[in-house]
Amino acid sequence: MANRVEHVRYDHLITRQNRAEKEFLARLENEKPRLDNAIVVVNPYLINPLAAMILFKSDKPAKAVLTVHGKRNDREDIVHEFPEATSHALPVLGLYEGMQTRVTVALSTGESQDFLIQSQPLPKGICRCRNVATSLDYFGTNWMFLSPAGKNLPTAFDYRGDIRWILTENTMFDIKRVKNGNIITGSSRFCHMPYNSTGLIELNLLGKIYKEYRMPGCYHHDHFEMPDGNLLVCTQDFSRDTVEDMLVLLDRETGEVLRSWDYRNMLPQDVAGSGSQDHHDWFHNNAVWWNEKDNSVTISGRHQDAVVNFDYETGKVNWIVGDPEGWPEDMQKYFFKPVGDLSKFDWQYEQHACVICPDGDVMCFDNGHWRSKNKEKYLKNRDNFSRGVRYRIDTKKMEIEQVWQYGKELGQDFFSPYICNVEYYGEGHYLVHSGGIGWDHGWASEKLGAYIKLGDEGYDINSKTVELKDDVVMYYLEVDGNFYRAEKLTPYHDGDNAPFGDGKLLGQLEVTPDFGTIPDLEETSEVVDAWNQIRIEEDEDRLVFHGRFQRGQLAMVIMDNGSEKKGYFINTAAVSYLAMCSGAFLEDDDRVIKMNISKSSLPAGKCEVKVLVEDRIFQTGVVICN
Amino acid sequence: MITEVNTAQYDALDKKGPMLVEFYSKTCGPCKMLGFVLKDVDKNDPDFRIYQVEFNENKELKDRCGVKGFPTLLFMKDGQEVSRLEGLKQKPVILKEIEKIKA
Repeated sequence: MANRVEHVRYDHLITRQNRAEKEFLARLENEKPRLDNAIVVVNPYLINPLAAMILFKSDKPAKAVLTVHGKRNDREDIVHEFPEATSHALPVLGLYEGMQTRVTVALSTGESQDFLIQSQPLPKGICRCRNVATSLDYFGTNWMFLSPAGKNLPTAFDYRGDIRWILTENTMFDIKRVKNGNIITGSSRFCHMPYNSTGLIELNLLGKIYKEYRMPGCYHHDHFEMPDGNLLVCTQDFSRDTVEDMLVLLDRETGEVLRSWDYRNMLPQDVAGSGSQDHHDWFHNNAVWWNEKDNSVTISGRHQDAVVNFDYETGKVNWIVGDPEGWPEDMQKYFFKPVGDLSKFDWQYEQHACVICPDGDVMCFDNGHWRSKNKEKYLKNRDNFSRGVRYRIDTKKMEIEQVWQYGKELGQDFFSPYICNVEYYGEGHYLVHSGGIGWDHGWASEKLGAYIKLGDEGYDINSKTVELKDDVVMYYLEVDGNFYRAEKLTPYHDGDNAPFGDGKLLGQLEVTPDFGTIPDLEETSEVVDAWNQIRIEEDEDRLVFHGRFQRGQLAMVIMDNGSEKKGYFINTAAVSYLAMCSGAFLEDDDRVIKMNISKSSLPAGKCEVKVLVEDRIFQTGVVICN
Repeated sequence: MITEVNTAQYDALDKKGPMLVEFYSKTCGPCKMLGFVLKDVDKNDPDFRIYQVEFNENKELKDRCGVKGFPTLLFMKDGQEVSRLEGLKQKPVILKEIEKIKA
């Protein structure tokens, strides 16, 4: 077996997109095409094969009406009007897969042109619609955006279940549309296991990234746009021994962390644990919501079965929705007493996606995992249920009433032990997304979806999204795979759908801590063995080191510039995670590890990359210029 | 000074004064790394006593000491545990704990 190390260097996607945009805009200026010979660029930003850009000039300022024709009838047409211009760059969203989509551009000057645009092929193995039931009257030309919970891709489906939008980048966690019409979601760039990406990205639906907000503590699970545009973001401090227990306020323009909240200052740890709690991930913050009415923040902590509301200014806890069992006496004052029809009342367990309704009611997706705080009463998943639930709380009397739920009656068929969300559209009008359903020979699996071995007979994962109006199911979507959240959006919005300009990398990655002690071991001139599968990805601001090691081996990456050495310890011990809300970074072979090393932490100049394996230091032949 | 001890040898130790006891496993990467860190600590202060106990071969002792996993470092003074660190730690963290028991 030859010794070989793979070194892949690539530009950040933002850089590649900036380049691509400059190229097609230069073509527009150089060729000055008219509408009848317009330039059509399919997948203009490299990551959306179902999008295109039509570029042309007109002599007189003209409004352009773009119609993406439906493949069945003209009620399916997606129509959007663009403001008056002489230089036109029209984003085309929602090309059908595997066929030519008819697109019409009609100018206010009277000119009109049809285009037949062939989409690019979609990646293999994507998650497809299994079942959809709704009407065009109800769903219109909206799309249901599903954000992935594994190696699947962010995907949007129309009312017939056709895929109309997909990104070929495995972006993470929630997709939210912000006030300027862009969407914000997690970057696909790996940073820390199990599922922490470098930060957030703001992009349009063509896939153009305007900003990547890098964060030292990485991004996980959820974010919330404040009225001034700044972002509340779930994060952590990796220098501590606990995770997923911090929130920060990010400056939308600069990416700077303006403020942070540490839940360890608000809540006791290692108490009231759900079945998935451990010391390291004691709270597991999976959602954040800000409420303008009382300037409070509401967070969901899966591993304490708690929806916690605290004051934005003081950080002091106001109330907690959850089963009070197991919480210390001095915390009981924050909990509510159930009232109303108690035969229908259930607490939520390991919930996700807390929402505060306009009247102050609290909604969430009650995963129900374990469905007790008492080990003796834990339910098997096959005997359990998940649901969307709405509670009415009286913060003076500290009383709580369950006023609505959907899902309990469906039992294991709708059960998701992890991920999922609810949306409030209006009174009696909700979305309930059970995106983490897993099956083991016809029964709800006891494993989280990310751990279910697909392809083996009897195993399956899927995702179900429901919209209800006055308890009537108006929309039902079932798709392959597990999806973190669902969000219904229009393809186009009223703002500028595709502004140009260079995308930016903002904020900072963490300075990867090096390990102060480098073992004094023999350095050999040999290249590390091919069995170790060493692969070094080099991006603009970091390296991702991939390698395979025997369990319990001593392993370290060493960066040596000739005068300074820095070592980065590789943990080869088996690690089990009690939460796996996204399996995007999971490896099939759990001896394969990957480690992110930010360039800001490397010694200056040319660094040779060496690898310590057990009792010797090997060469890789890779040199990084820093 | 770093010395490997078994249960009997540990029990026979003169425990007066400060000392550090590491529970480790031969099949654990972080333990192997910690071994090098402790060698580094030892260079700083060769007179300070560091004892290493193999976790799996000394189960009664690790149970008696309430050690649940490896690596675990017990910082002791006059036979009493003053503090403990679990998992791989860097040299400055260990030195800080040693300073406390030497004070």
